[in-house]
Amino acid sequence: MLINYFDDLEKGIVSSINDQGGKASPRKLYSLEIARLGKRLYSGSNKVAWCGVTAPFDLLHAMGLTSCFVEFIGAMLASTGMAGSIIEESDHAGYSSDACSYHRAIMGAAMKDLMPAPEILVGTTVPCSGGLAVIENLARHFDKPLFILHIPQGDSDSDVAYLASQMKDLTGFVTEHTGIALDRGRLKAVIEKTNEARGIVNEIFDLAKHCPSPANSKDLNNFLITMALFLGSDESVSLARAYREEFAQRLSENRSGVHDEKVRLLWIQNRIQFKNPLVDTLEKEYRAVIVSDELNSITWGPIDPDDPFEGLARRAISIPFNGVTQRRIDHLKQLARNYKIQGAINPCNWGCRQGTGTRGLVEAGLREVGVPVLNLEVDCVDERKFTEGQFRTRIEAFMEMIQTRPNPWQQH
Amino acid sequence: MYYLGIDIGSLSCDAVLIDEGKNVKASSVVPTGARNRESIALATEIVMSRAGITGRDVKATVSTGYGRDRVEEKIASVTEITCHAKGMQALRAGAEVLIDIGGQDSKCIHMSDKTAVVNFAMNDKCAAGTGRFLEAMARALQVDIGEMGGLDKGARGGVTISSMCTVFAESEVVSLIAEGTGVNEIVKGLNRSIAARTVSLVKRVIPDYQGRPVAMSGGVAKNDGVVRAIEEALGCSVFVPDMPDTVGAFGAALFALERSTQ
Repeated sequence: MLINYFDDLEKGIVSSINDQGGKASPRKLYSLEIARLGKRLYSGSNKVAWCGVTAPFDLLHAMGLTSCFVEFIGAMLASTGMAGSIIEESDHAGYSSDACSYHRAIMGAAMKDLMPAPEILVGTTVPCSGGLAVIENLARHFDKPLFILHIPQGDSDSDVAYLASQMKDLTGFVTEHTGIALDRGRLKAVIEKTNEARGIVNEIFDLAKHCPSPANSKDLNNFLITMALFLGSDESVSLARAYREEFAQRLSENRSGVHDEKVRLLWIQNRIQFKNPLVDTLEKEYRAVIVSDELNSITWGPIDPDDPFEGLARRAISIPFNGVTQRRIDHLKQLARNYKIQGAINPCNWGCRQGTGTRGLVEAGLREVGVPVLNLEVDCVDERKFTEGQFRTRIEAFMEMIQTRPNPWQQH
Repeated sequence: MYYLGIDIGSLSCDAVLIDEGKNVKASSVVPTGARNRESIALATEIVMSRAGITGRDVKATVSTGYGRDRVEEKIASVTEITCHAKGMQALRAGAEVLIDIGGQDSKCIHMSDKTAVVNFAMNDKCAAGTGRFLEAMARALQVDIGEMGGLDKGARGGVTISSMCTVFAESEVVSLIAEGTGVNEIVKGLNRSIAARTVSLVKRVIPDYQGRPVAMSGGVAKNDGVVRAIEEALGCSVFVPDMPDTVGAFGAALFALERSTQ
C-alpha cells in the first residue's frame, strides 16, 4: 500500500515539475526526496536499517544501507490521514493509549505489515526511551539483529570517545549482518557531502533570520530532522542549494515568506503532522510566521572526513534534547534572540514525557527573554484527538495577547 | 447608538447591549442548543426588545465564544479569553486574576492594566470541572443544577471526589448516594474537586497569585458553593459580578464600541 503511495507521490511531483518547465520550489524538491526515500524503504530491493533519531544515517548510507528513523513512518501515516486505525493496532502489542502516538503508529504499522522488514535495527538512547522501546519491539517483531548506540549525556572527551568507539563497532555489526564492508574512501566522500550540506543549511538558517523572513511557516517544516536522512548524498547538497537560492532570491526581491509579516514565532519540538488549519490561521489572520523550529539548527561542527567517528559522535551528542533541560532552554533562548521571536508554541505532544515534563521549565526560561509560550495539549500524530475549535481558540487568544505586548526585540 | 456583544458558548448564548457611555442597556442568556444561529437571533432579539431599539440602532457587533464565527453581522470576532478579561477589567478595576468557568472550558487569565491579558491557561484534554461536569453531577444527584449552589450548606467536608474523569466521578457520586452519604456532603466534595483543579490552573499561570485581586466569571460563578470552595482553596475572597455569565459578551460589546470608533 505505502509503496504505491510513495510511487504516486513521486510521479505527481515530477509531473508537476515538468509542467512548470522544470522549475520547482525547494519545498517541492524536499517532498520529492521524501517520496524517493519512501520508495527506497518500501521497494524491497534495498537493504533497510530502521533506526533511532540520532543514528548516523550518513555512515549507514556510506555502507549502502537505506536507513531511516522510525518516527518518519508515524509522521507519514499522520500526513496521509491513515494513522488513526493503525494506532489502535498497537494496543495489541501492550501499548497504553497514553503512550506516544508516533511510536504507537509505528508499532501498529509493523503489526499490519505496513513496514518493510529491515536487515538490521539501530536503536539510540536519545532523544527518548520510548523511541528505543519501539525499536526493541520492532527487532523482536521482525526477528532481526539490533544494535544500540548508548548516547552519553555529556560531551567530555571521554564521552565522545565512548560513542565514537560504539560507532566503529556499528560498522562491524553492519558488516556481520549484511556482508557489506566499510569502504573508507566512500565514507570520506560521504562525509565531505555531509559537511557541504551542513554549511549550506547554516546559510539557509541565517537567511531565514532576516526581518521580515524570506521563509514562510511551511518552508522549513520538519526540515533538518528529515534532512539528516539525506546527509552524505548528492541530493542533500542540491536540496540545500535550492533552499539557499530561493531564500536569497526572495530577499533580493524584498519578498517575505508571509506578506506583511507582523509576528515571528518559534515552534518547540515537532510540528503537528496531520493536515490542520492552525498554520494558515496564523499566517492569514495574524500575519504571523513560524520562523524557527527547535529542531532546525546546526548544533555540531564540521566532521573530519579522514577520521569521522569523533565528529559523528559529537553530532549525536549535540542535539538539544540530550542532557539536562537547561541545555535545551539555553538553545531555545538563543533561537529566540537570533530570530527575534515574539512568541513560542509548544505542542506538548500527548504521550511525550520529555515534551510535557519540561514544559514549565521551558516556559519559564523563554519568559526570561520576554517570549511568552503557548502550551497546547495536542497529539501531533493522531488527528482523531484534534478538536479544531479548542485549538483555534487557544492559538487566537495567544495571538491577541502578543498583539498587545511590546515586541521584546524592539525595546533594546 | 448602541454596541452589541454576543458570546456563543457551548451551553449558553449571551448578548449584552451597551451605549456609548459603556452602560449596559440590556442583556440576555439563552441556551445555545444544536442550532446556534437561532440562538444568536433569539439572544439578539431579546436584548433589542428589552432596550426598545431595532437593529438599525446597533452601530457595531463583536462576537466571542466557540461559535463566534457564526455571527454574520459582526465587525470582528475576539476570543473569549480576551473578551472576559476586557469585561472584567471594566467591572472590577485592578483585578489581576480572572477565573472563568464556562460550559466546557475552565480558564485562568492573568490580567494587567497595560496589556489586558498577560498570560492564560485553559483546561487540558477534558472538560472535568466545568459546567458540563456539574450538569452530569446534578443529574446523578437528581437535583436541579440551579439549586446546587446552596446544597453544600451544613456539610462537614469529609467527602472527596477523586476521579478526574466526568464519567468516573459520576459513578463515584452514585456509589456515595448508595452508601447513604448526604447530598450536602457530596456537593461539597464536588465543589472542592472543582476548586482543586481551578487552583492548579491559577498556580500554573500566576505562581505568586497570593495577594492579587481575584475575580470570577462564567456560568459556574453563579454557583455559590463552587465560589466558596475556590475562596477556601485560594485563601482569599473572589469577586463575582452580578451577571458573571455575561462578562464575555460585555467585553465583546466594549470591543464593538472601541473598534467602531477608532
